[in-house]
Amino acid sequence: MYETFEHTADVGLRVSAQSLNELFAAAARGLFSLLVADPIVGNGETLSFEVSGDNLTFLLVDMLSELLFTFESEAVVLGDFVFNVGDGRASATATARALDPNLHGSPREVKAITYHAANVRHTEEGWDAELILDV
Amino acid sequence: MSGRTFEGALERVEETVWRIPRSYKKGMLVDGLIYSSPRLIAQVVSDRAPEQVANVAFLPGIQMASLAMPDIHWGYGFAIGGVCATDPAAGGVVSPGGVGYDINCGVRLIRTDLSADDIAPQLRELVDSLFAHIPLGLGQGSKHHFGDGELDQLMAQGPSYLVGKGLATDRDIDFTEARGRLDGAEPDFVSERAHKRGQGQCGSLGSGNHFVEIQAVQRIEETTAAAAMGLAEGQVVVMIHSGSRGLGYQVCDDSLRALRDSPARHGIDLPDQQLACAPIESKEGRHYLGAMAAAANFGWCNRQLLMWQARQAFEAALGRPWQELGMELVYDVAHNTAKLEEHTIDGATKQVLVHRKGATRAFPPGHPEVPEPYRDVGQPVLIPGDMGRASWVLAGRPGAMERTFGSSCHGAGRAMSRKASVKATKGRDIGAELAAAGILARSKGWRGLAEEQPDAYKDVDEVVDVVDRAGLSAKVARLVPLGVIKG
Repeated sequence: MYETFEHTADVGLRVSAQSLNELFAAAARGLFSLLVADPIVGNGETLSFEVSGDNLTFLLVDMLSELLFTFESEAVVLGDFVFNVGDGRASATATARALDPNLHGSPREVKAITYHAANVRHTEEGWDAELILDV
Repeated sequence: MSGRTFEGALERVEETVWRIPRSYKKGMLVDGLIYSSPRLIAQVVSDRAPEQVANVAFLPGIQMASLAMPDIHWGYGFAIGGVCATDPAAGGVVSPGGVGYDINCGVRLIRTDLSADDIAPQLRELVDSLFAHIPLGLGQGSKHHFGDGELDQLMAQGPSYLVGKGLATDRDIDFTEARGRLDGAEPDFVSERAHKRGQGQCGSLGSGNHFVEIQAVQRIEETTAAAAMGLAEGQVVVMIHSGSRGLGYQVCDDSLRALRDSPARHGIDLPDQQLACAPIESKEGRHYLGAMAAAANFGWCNRQLLMWQARQAFEAALGRPWQELGMELVYDVAHNTAKLEEHTIDGATKQVLVHRKGATRAFPPGHPEVPEPYRDVGQPVLIPGDMGRASWVLAGRPGAMERTFGSSCHGAGRAMSRKASVKATKGRDIGAELAAAGILARSKGWRGLAEEQPDAYKDVDEVVDVVDRAGLSAKVARLVPLGVIKG
């Protein structure tokens, strides 16, 4: 699951899940819920993403940055994420649909996924993470 | 984590200055100094901004103090409203987080020969014309397309390149901070990704707190400075707030990724990974500064093209050429940069790298970088407020050189998070409320107005009072909004 939290200038995103794969997917869904009002993808093209590194927090920031770059440069909304996280890498597939303000609502600009207080943690229940997005 | 109250040591040391002593946290190299007032400081301690002022004091080579302007609020890494100077000769670092993602976000002010009374019947038409002429929001790209080679020219030369294309005048360049060109720009250091993000965006407003606003000069506070700047009561002016768009965001993002392991490599211990930094004289440091300067120059080109389109919008609505309407640039000033500047610290004059993260350069009378017509009155310091109350023109004062590395505040500063602001406006029509107050606002979505509604900001008059009383910059003119467009 994901939720937003208050940050004076920007937007905070808090996610939790039982597995790392679900955590990354929840964070990706959370990102797109901030980018468009209605992140519908339907039966679109499937895109693949991969990032590597041995720091889980950096891996999550890098993956969300990839998704954000694709959203902005290709003008596509992404959804139906399937993640595979482990062994110093994270890979994902996602369904992409051309951004359509009539369907998705007017998009908002997210400048970047910041590192400020970014943290992926293993908890008793599973995993959680907090991120601040510059909007 | 949320914006919890700051409970650390904070002592008032002067009428307008509060200090976080170096002893507050092990690792602070200097004190933190926050310019504020009793009312504003009560808001400042309600989030994590003071903690961030303390964190910046860890940066190697920091000079004098980690400074914060009265519009300070919680950012990421640096607080918004933070100023920090580092000395290259003392192992000083550059931190991309001290500039921020929107490199060379800034403000420009255009004067006109029109009076608010003259345009009252055509105000709706003017706002609609701005809305039609200026691309805004995320979906709309710029009307100006630049190929890869041209993008490099924009980054290397800044808006001077646009003079040859008939999109800027020599006078526009003269009245832009640093003449719109930071030295040392290295377009080759700007990634393919940043090119791709910025390619179609030079001349587009963006969203968030960026705007183009038609304003009236409500009150002149300092007649000599106002006269030098061509400002008079009742006159219509246009204020533009935007930055370097996706190109700048990507340069910052790329640099933070490249630098995130750098503190450990250079043996620098930092309390926040967003403060990632490298020595100015290192390869990584020079790489960031070259790319940052290129993005800053692109940012000046963006505001130049936004101004050009605003001139066209006025021409279309009023049926007269912009020159006849007297639409000349008063000044353009950046508030997210890192610049090598000469400052005198403890009696020694040296070159230091001044990071301004949501802070405006405010050079005093006599400074060689102030355009000649303003040399006797000080550099114009442009302070956007909120869309319901006011904005200000100030002039740089000697106190800024003595105390804040030639810096002043940059805006009202947020008082409310975007989420809280949207919640507070639930069931209200902000556009209608502003219209009832005589202000015409147009935005691409409801969210823009709800997040940016006047109450989401501190009172800009209070912020400006502090920098005026502290001798950092002096009040010249108070501007009130007539019409605004937002992404």
